[in-house]
Amino acid sequence: MFLLLPFDSLIVNLLGISLTVLFTLLLVFIIVPAIFGVSFGIRKLYMKTLLKIFAWATLRMERGAKEKNHQLYKPYTNGIIAKDPTSLEEEIKEIRRSGSSKALDNTPELALSDIFYFCRKGMETIMDDEVTKRFSAEELESWNLLSRTNYNFQYISLRLTVLWGLGVLIRYCFLLPLRIALAFTGISLLVVGTTVVGYLPNGRFKEFMSKHVHLMCYRICVRALTAIITYHDRENRPRNGGICVANHTSPIDVIILASDGYYAMVGQVHGGLMGVIQRAMVKACPHVWFERSEVKDRHLVAKRLTEHVQDKSKLPILIFPEGTCINNTSVMMFKKGSFEIGATVYPVAIKYDPQFGDAFWNSSKYGMVTYLLRMMTSWAIVCSVWYLPPMTREGDEDAVQFANRVKSAIARQGGLVDLLWDGGLKREKVKDTFKEEQQKLYSKMIVGNHEDRSRS
Amino acid sequence: MGAAHSASEEVRELEGKTGFSSDQIEQLHRRFKQLSGDQPTIRKENFNNVPDLELNPIRSKIVRAFFDNRNLRKGPSGLADEINFEDFLTIMSYFRPIDTTMGEEQVELSRKEKLRFLFHMYDSDSDGRITLEEYRNVVEELLSGNPHIEKESARSIADGAMMEAASVCVGQMEPDQVYEGITFEDFLKIWQGIDIETKMHVRFLNMETMALCH
Repeated sequence: MFLLLPFDSLIVNLLGISLTVLFTLLLVFIIVPAIFGVSFGIRKLYMKTLLKIFAWATLRMERGAKEKNHQLYKPYTNGIIAKDPTSLEEEIKEIRRSGSSKALDNTPELALSDIFYFCRKGMETIMDDEVTKRFSAEELESWNLLSRTNYNFQYISLRLTVLWGLGVLIRYCFLLPLRIALAFTGISLLVVGTTVVGYLPNGRFKEFMSKHVHLMCYRICVRALTAIITYHDRENRPRNGGICVANHTSPIDVIILASDGYYAMVGQVHGGLMGVIQRAMVKACPHVWFERSEVKDRHLVAKRLTEHVQDKSKLPILIFPEGTCINNTSVMMFKKGSFEIGATVYPVAIKYDPQFGDAFWNSSKYGMVTYLLRMMTSWAIVCSVWYLPPMTREGDEDAVQFANRVKSAIARQGGLVDLLWDGGLKREKVKDTFKEEQQKLYSKMIVGNHEDRSRS
Repeated sequence: MGAAHSASEEVRELEGKTGFSSDQIEQLHRRFKQLSGDQPTIRKENFNNVPDLELNPIRSKIVRAFFDNRNLRKGPSGLADEINFEDFLTIMSYFRPIDTTMGEEQVELSRKEKLRFLFHMYDSDSDGRITLEEYRNVVEELLSGNPHIEKESARSIADGAMMEAASVCVGQMEPDQVYEGITFEDFLKIWQGIDIETKMHVRFLNMETMALCH
């Protein structure tokens, strides 16, 4: 049996008291406001302080770099090559023209020159291609004291290193346990709360309780990530019987949107913790969960979604049509499935500020747990959410055109680049139809010439 | 840092061999690592990761050109299995703009090098001649995928082009004289006087660090 020295018992007491104080603070400043949906503005203050510190750190680095003659800023990489904007037709005509000026009337129809264009284009894409750039995280121009964003981290000054070390200490030893505790609280409250609400008889009271349990738990999760969200145009928030579409950067998007509105989720049934959460949630209100086998059957999926949407008492569905996480500099092709259903679409644009922590989930590089840990050890997640006015499919549009229209609206609002490419290219290959288009254009030119010649 | 020193020596060596600047080399190295998946060499399969390349009808010829021993200056024929970063840069250097300050001889040499690269693309069996078969093959590839053009018309286009090339290179032929194929000298003759410089180069940006202020 250990003999507790008076000194030891003092430490134990202090520990006990500080833990109690910590938990009371936690409750008062974080959980209670989450329940009622109010905010003390602590996070905004935190953000302002951090910005001041970052500005100081960047200045310090600039000074240090100048002293040592180092290259500080990464080259402004918008690509290494300047791609020619001329089209296929113009370029080939030009080459042929320069050839035929010196030769006789009969120049080979398929001039050896045509290969130039495709050869050069091929080289250009090998050196630098639009699509792959979108799938790696954005690069920052000022340092935010996270070594993961500074690729050229070198020792600049003692003060800066001390500050960085302090940052690491705060993030890992203070913020991380706090956030994990909050996340734990949030998730367990969600599971317990929704299960309890599930036992209530159906009616207005059940709906009321369900809505508030959901909102409360999502708000706690938002605080668990120290997410500072600014909502714009809240009058356009989705209503019952509509579909909410948004661009996708990370799994956190769901938490961000769901903490400001009451949605029905759509997704695959998972095992493990996710499965537990899903089963609990569906007891309180109808979400749409698909079995793995059902996901492949597009008609089945469309049917279930249509049924849900037509029932006006059910909640708006939340869908991410890109199908995968993009790095938040552009919006990729929207899959047309959700736009074929014929319901009102409420587009939402989400734009993250990478200065405080990069929210992009590169699923080929990081697993879910690693990703969450990275999120919880960043300073904060800052983002803006814009609710755009609702859109419906017009008479002469097909689903693909409608999807593109919505996509452009979202890209414009969020300040993201509107790309035609399919987000699925992260893992798969290009559809043959695109390749054929290019070849058809080229062949048309050849055949056109051929016919002109045979006529003359 | 020890590692940094040997790396910069390598870079300087590459600068001398290929003519790229150190910033461009660094940028291309990152692209190389992206394509190779952080391996030290690239194989043909790695080019499948470039989605934009799928649109190109002569994709297979371009990829092949990267592994062609003649382009890599490693031999008169055959294909390498894999290439390292230096080989990658060697192929890229065929597309650097010709430095017009270099003097006429050098300019002529660069031009020849570029045309030779193109010649190798046509001449797939490395026998030094572009035969009718090889030419047809290229035309078919350029026109492949279009269901409206039959194989016959593709062939006739190729045949017509070959005849034109023959008349330019050999002049009037006897009725039973067989045109063996376009040699590299004939190839050069066809292109004499035509400015290919602007068509056969990729404009590399000068990677000056632009310090962006907030």
